[in-house]
Amino acid sequence: MMAECTINDNIDESDSDYSDEDFETYYHPMEYGDSEENHNPVDAEDPELFPVECLTMEQVEMFLNEAVNSVCHILNINMSLAKLFLLFNNWDVEKIISGYKLDITSFLISSRVLPTLQSQQQSANIDDNDCQCEQQQPGSGNIINDNVFICPVCTCSSLKSLGLCLECQHTFCTECWTTYVEVKISEGQSTEITCMAQNCNLLLQEVIALKLPISSYLKLQYQHFAFHNYVISHPLLRFCVGPNCNVIFKAKQSLAKRIVCPQCKSVFCFKCGDSYHAPTDCATIKNWLTKCADDSETANYFSAHTKDCPNCNICIEKNGGCNHMQCYKCRHDFCWMCLGDWKGHGSEYYECSRYKENSETANESAKARAALRKYLHYYERWQNHAKSLKLEEKTLEKIKDRINQKVMNGSGTWIDWQYLLDAAALLAKCRYTLQYTYPYAYYMNNESKNLFEYQQAQLEAEIENLSWKVERAETTDRGDLENQMYIAEKRRKTLLKDFFQT
Amino acid sequence: MAATRRLQKELNDMRVHGLKCFRDIQVDESNILSWTGLIVPENPPFNKGAFRIEINFPAEYPFKPPKINFKTKIYHPNIDEKGQVCLPIISAENWKPATKTDQVIQALVALVNDPEPEHPLRAELAEEYLKDRKKFFKLAEEYTKKHSEKRPAD
Repeated sequence: MMAECTINDNIDESDSDYSDEDFETYYHPMEYGDSEENHNPVDAEDPELFPVECLTMEQVEMFLNEAVNSVCHILNINMSLAKLFLLFNNWDVEKIISGYKLDITSFLISSRVLPTLQSQQQSANIDDNDCQCEQQQPGSGNIINDNVFICPVCTCSSLKSLGLCLECQHTFCTECWTTYVEVKISEGQSTEITCMAQNCNLLLQEVIALKLPISSYLKLQYQHFAFHNYVISHPLLRFCVGPNCNVIFKAKQSLAKRIVCPQCKSVFCFKCGDSYHAPTDCATIKNWLTKCADDSETANYFSAHTKDCPNCNICIEKNGGCNHMQCYKCRHDFCWMCLGDWKGHGSEYYECSRYKENSETANESAKARAALRKYLHYYERWQNHAKSLKLEEKTLEKIKDRINQKVMNGSGTWIDWQYLLDAAALLAKCRYTLQYTYPYAYYMNNESKNLFEYQQAQLEAEIENLSWKVERAETTDRGDLENQMYIAEKRRKTLLKDFFQT
Repeated sequence: MAATRRLQKELNDMRVHGLKCFRDIQVDESNILSWTGLIVPENPPFNKGAFRIEINFPAEYPFKPPKINFKTKIYHPNIDEKGQVCLPIISAENWKPATKTDQVIQALVALVNDPEPEHPLRAELAEEYLKDRKKFFKLAEEYTKKHSEKRPAD
C-alpha cells in the first residue's frame, strides 16, 4: 500500500489522546506537534511544505525498474548494464542516453565497462612478459597450449574454457572469481566489485557476479547491498536515518527539506540525510559543523555553563531554556546572552542576536582575534540554543508536574491545560530553527544580512517571550499564550520564506 | 591451501629473480604465512642502513591483503612508532588478488624512499619534512645510523 504522507501533517497530536508515552516521544527536540497546521493541512505558502511518499522495498524496486527498463529498451542493452549505467549516472536516464548515443566507446570506458586504450596496451605488454617469464622459469615446466592457461591468482593451470575475464581480458579461473566475490560480499561490497588484476578498475557486472556458483545466502546479500547502492545513488530516494527503520522516502525533487518519518519519528534533511538545518543549506551546515568540531575546544573555554548576575554578581546557573533571566537573589531581570538589562529586550530593541562588525581592525593579529570573536559570537548563540533546547525538555517535565498539581487542586481540568504542552512543542520547534539561523548568518556576506539579522532578532525576541510565558503560565487562560505562539510561528515562517532557499 | 601454493610460487620467483631493495627473505619453515626481510632504501637519509620488516599473510590470501610491520625503528612520516605503515596497495578497499608481493614491496620501498607528507601517520614528522627538510634529513640520518641494521654487501 502506498502511504502518502505530507511532512507537515506528521503526527496528529491535536486530537489524539495524550498518554504518558506520547509525551516522551512527543517532546524529542525534533518532534514538534504542529497543532495549528493540522487545522490547515494544506498551506501552499508554507516554506517547509514537502510532499514525499513512503515506499516499501518492493515499491522502490518497481520504481527503479521503470528506469532500468526504459534504458534497456531505448539503448537495446541488457538489464545488468542498464543498472550499472544508472548507478554511476545518478539515475539520469536522459544523460545516459545522450552520452551513449554521442560516443558508445568512450561512454563504456567512462562507465568502467571497457578498459581505457592505455591499459589495453599495457595489459597486452604485461601478458607478453608473463609468458616469457613462465617459459624461462626452470620450475614451471608446464607446457601451455592453446587450451590451458595459468590463473595468476591461484597459480594453478586450468582449461581456458573454465576461465573468466571481463572486457580487459584479465583471465582468472572460475574458482578464484567465486572465492573473490564471496570475500567481497562478506565485506559488504556488491556493485563496486572490480576485476582482480592490479590497476584494473573494470566493474564486475551484476549478471556475471550472480552467475558464479556462490551460496544462495551470499547471492541474497549481494542483492541486498546492490539495492542499498541503487537507493543511495538515486537523488529522489532516501533511506530513513532511524536505526532499524525500513522506510524509504521518495520525493519529486531533491530539496533540503524536512522529513519526519511516520514510523520511527526521526527528523532529517531529505537532501543530505543529516539533522534538519533550515534556513542554512546542506553545504554550509557541513562547513559549520566541521568548523565547530575543530574549534570547539577554544569555544568551550569561552562559553562556560555559569554566569554572574550583572547586578549582584552572584553565580547563576541556567536551568531553563529562557534567556530572560531573573536573579533569584536580587530579582534583577537580565539577558543571558548579553548580560544587559532585560528592559532593552522588547521586540523593537532586541539587538543581542546581531553581531556588530568592528571596522577598526588594523593588523593581522587583530584580524585573527576579530575572526575568532566573530566565530565565537555565532558559536555561543548556536550552542546556547542547543542547550536551551535540551533544558526545555526539563521544563516540559516541570510543566507536566505543574499541570498535575493544578488539576489536583481543582484549578482547571487536565484538558484545559493542554494548550501549555502545545506551546512547549512550538517553542522547541521555533528554537530549533533559531539555532540554525546562526550558521546561516555566520557565512552570510551580502546586503540582505541586515534584513536577516533584523528578522532573526525579531524571532529571538518572540521566542524568549514565549519561553518566559510558558515557564510561568499560572492560569488556564490561554488567550495571551496562544497569541504569543501565533506571533512566534509567524516570525519563524516569515524568516524561512525569505531566506530558506532550497 | 590456495595461499600456500601461491606463496610458495611467489617466494621461489623472488628468490630466483631477487629484488635489489628487498634482501634476506626469511620464511618460517612451519608457517609460510609469515615472512621477514630487509628493506634496503636507495635515497638519503635512509640509504645509510637497512630496515627489517615482517609480512603476515592471512589464511585467505590472496583474496585478502597481507599486513606489513617494521621491526626496525625508522624516522619516517608514513611509518609510526609501532612500525605500522599506511600503504594503499594493501588496504582492504584497494587490494587486488592478482597483486604480487614483489609489487607490494616495490610500493613500500618507493614510499620509504620518497615520504608522502600529504597522508602522514606521524603528523609532526610530516610537518618537519615539509617545513624544514634539512633538519628532517639530519635527524632521520642520525636515527638511521643509531637504530637500523647493516646493509647487506652486494
